[in-house]
Order: sequence, then C-alpha cells, then structure tokens
Amino acid sequence: MSVFGILANYYPTLLGGLLVSVELFLSVSVLGVVLGAGFGVLGARNPVAGAVVKTTSFVVAGIPLLVLLFWFYYPFQSLLGILISPFLTAVLVLAIVNTAAIAELVRGVLTDFPKQYIVAAQMAGLSSNDIFKRIQFPMIFRQIIPSVLTTQLFILQCTLFASLISVPEIFRVAQNLNAVLYRPVEIYTTLAIFFMLVLAPLYYLAFLLRERFTRDFSER
Amino acid sequence: MLTAHNIEKKRGGRHILHGIDISIEPSSIVSLIGPSGAGKTTLLNVLSGVDAPDGGEVKVDGEDLSNPSPQVAMVFQQLFLWPHLTLRQNIALANRSTEAEITELIATLGMEAFIDRYPNQTSLGQRQRAALARAIALKPKYLLLDEITSALDIEQIERVAALLEKLRASGLGILLVSHLINFAKRTSDQIVFMDGGVVIERGGKEFVSSPQKQRTQEFLRFF
Repeated sequence: MSVFGILANYYPTLLGGLLVSVELFLSVSVLGVVLGAGFGVLGARNPVAGAVVKTTSFVVAGIPLLVLLFWFYYPFQSLLGILISPFLTAVLVLAIVNTAAIAELVRGVLTDFPKQYIVAAQMAGLSSNDIFKRIQFPMIFRQIIPSVLTTQLFILQCTLFASLISVPEIFRVAQNLNAVLYRPVEIYTTLAIFFMLVLAPLYYLAFLLRERFTRDFSER
Repeated sequence: MLTAHNIEKKRGGRHILHGIDISIEPSSIVSLIGPSGAGKTTLLNVLSGVDAPDGGEVKVDGEDLSNPSPQVAMVFQQLFLWPHLTLRQNIALANRSTEAEITELIATLGMEAFIDRYPNQTSLGQRQRAALARAIALKPKYLLLDEITSALDIEQIERVAALLEKLRASGLGILLVSHLINFAKRTSDQIVFMDGGVVIERGGKEFVSSPQKQRTQEFLRFF
C-alpha cells in the first residue's frame, strides 16, 4: 500500500491521533506559558521566589523527560494510590517542563533588564504604567518571543513521548498502524514529512522574529 | 538652584565621593573636569536622583531630590536611548515639547538625515546628539551632560556649544562633564576640577590657564 493509500484508507485514525496531539500540545503550551510567565515575574520581583524558580528549572532540566514521564506515570501514582489518565499525566509532566523553562526565561530577561532604560523613562516623567507599557514590555517581548516560540516547538516534539505511556497521539497511532500493516518506510516517512511541514515553517517564523525583534541592539 | 551639599557616596566598599559641595545656578554652565575615575559620573548620578547619596543632600530649588525627575534631565555617558524606538520616537516619547519644538531641535542639531533610524543604525556621534535632544525636549530646569562631545566632530561640537549657550540664555542651568578643556573653557561660567572623589579646585573659566593647586597644575599641564 502506498503512502496515499494509507492516508486515504486510515485518515480517520490518523486524524484522531493528530487531534489528541494538538489537544495535548495546546494544553501544555497554554499552561506552561501562562504559569511560566507568572512564576517568572514573581521570581524577578522576589529573591526567594527567584531562587525557587532557578532551582526548579535546574532540577527539571537535569532529569530526562522520559524518566520524569515514567516516574509520574508509575511510582508517583503508586505512592499516592491514585490513578491519573495517561493523557493527564502527559499534560502534567510536559506542563512542568514547559513552565520551568518559560519561568526561567522570563525571570532571566526581567532580572537582566538594564535599569538605566527605566531611569531614562522616569526622567522623562513617564508613569510606572507607561514605563511598563512603552519601554519594558516592548523591549522584553521582542527579546523573549522567539525563545518562547522555540521552546514551544521543542515541547511539540516532546508530545511524542506521550506515546510511551499509551496516550493515543499521532505517533502512537502510527505505531499501531504499522503493527497492522507493517509498512514502516511509508508510515514513518509520512510522519516525518508531516512534522517537517508543521515545524519547519514555525522554526522559520521563530528565526524571522529573532531577526526582526532581537536584531543587534548593540550600539556601534 | 540645583545644590548638592556634603555629598558622600560609597560603592562596593569603595568611598567614591567625599563631602562634595556643588551648585548650579539657573542660566549658568558649570564644567566638571578631572581624570577618569575621579567620581564625576557618580556625582552626576547623585545630582540627577539616579543614585541616592550615602550622606549629604541634593536640592532642586529648595526641594529635596530623591528620584529621577524631568526637572533635572541627564544625558548618560552610555546614552541609554531606547533601542526599540527610532531617534525621533526617543525624543518625542515624553510628549513635553510640541512637534514644532522637536522639529526645530532636530534641525539645530543637524539630525534630519538620520532621525527616523533606530539607535543601532546610527553612529555614536549621531546618538549623542539624539540623547542630548531627548534631554532638552523634556524642558528641564537643569541639564546634566556626561561626556556628550566625546564622539562629535568639530562642526558638531560647535553646534552643541551654540545650543548650550542658547539654553543658558533661556534660563537653563547646565552641568557638563568633559575632557575637552577648550570646550569647557569656552562654554562655562565656572569650572570645577575633581580628583579622588573630592573637589580640588574651582573657579571661573580663566582658572584653567592659571591653576593654584599642584594636582590641578599636573592635570592641566598638557593643556
């Protein structure tokens, strides 16, 4: 069976897997960005919170995602005597990873923001609100948005690991399909092309944003 | 009058300023000269409210100054133009000058050709002029200028000198840090020589030709 034959015959199954992947990614992305931004701002304003954000980020980055996923899926639930669905477990673990990464990103950018730009704005008589809206936010947004986008694309790739705890996302569906049809070349090549078509433009967008917004601000 | 009395400033365990007294009257230009590391920039930061002194007081027309305020504008040595805004937007952001006033300022400083560029698209000399324009557009009572001529050519220095004289005539009090002794001598009503965080000597513009203190003589011997 050709690639097109597989797509024509099994598109409802593949589409189902794709929808689970999209749902998983959007949940993790929204949670990670919102919580990460919140913890990042908190960490920049409060030294204790800052230390917690740094340490958490360090610890999370130091544990392989697969280990974290399996630990939350088996020992964690066994220890607490609870049962969480594979999908929610994947959301929980990926959201922790995403939140830690975004929080440290936001904290770092806010902490390192040069104070003199704010002083110059105070001198110009701008209110605190105006300083945030017209100076801090645009500068920080431009600096941070490409990195946030790149992190989200990394997280999108990581959603494939959810297949290992039986989440029926696109990779899991492809594996199941291959078990029935045994057409690994066609199935996995299709999957690779699909991800490339989705991810490559987004990586290019991140590159363009980096070029446009975080262009060389250094003054010669 | 902008006055600083008995200013002390320490940083990182180092004593930078030792009991500095200085005042800038309206319609006057005071130049601060001295070797690198003398404490000139630190003093400007204290006078502008950017840094709080560890001792002494800064007053603007009798009122304590504890925070940066549009009354005392400063042009930093590193300029700190907002990088996401064009030079024109940098100058106009505070909205304290009319469009006509800003256009006149741009023309006075010869910035028409590059005014709509971003700071990183311009030379240091162009940015120095933009930073000066940004400070002037705030319509401050006092203007503190830290090395604003370091990257300007002779023609631009003349433009700036003429502008400073015009600002002085309009009632502005100006404190100028400069390594260009001739520029300081030409523009200033008073010159203050600092070294090691203390004022060594001060006087009218003629004092740079005949300093009394040995340290001042040493510093000015190449002039």
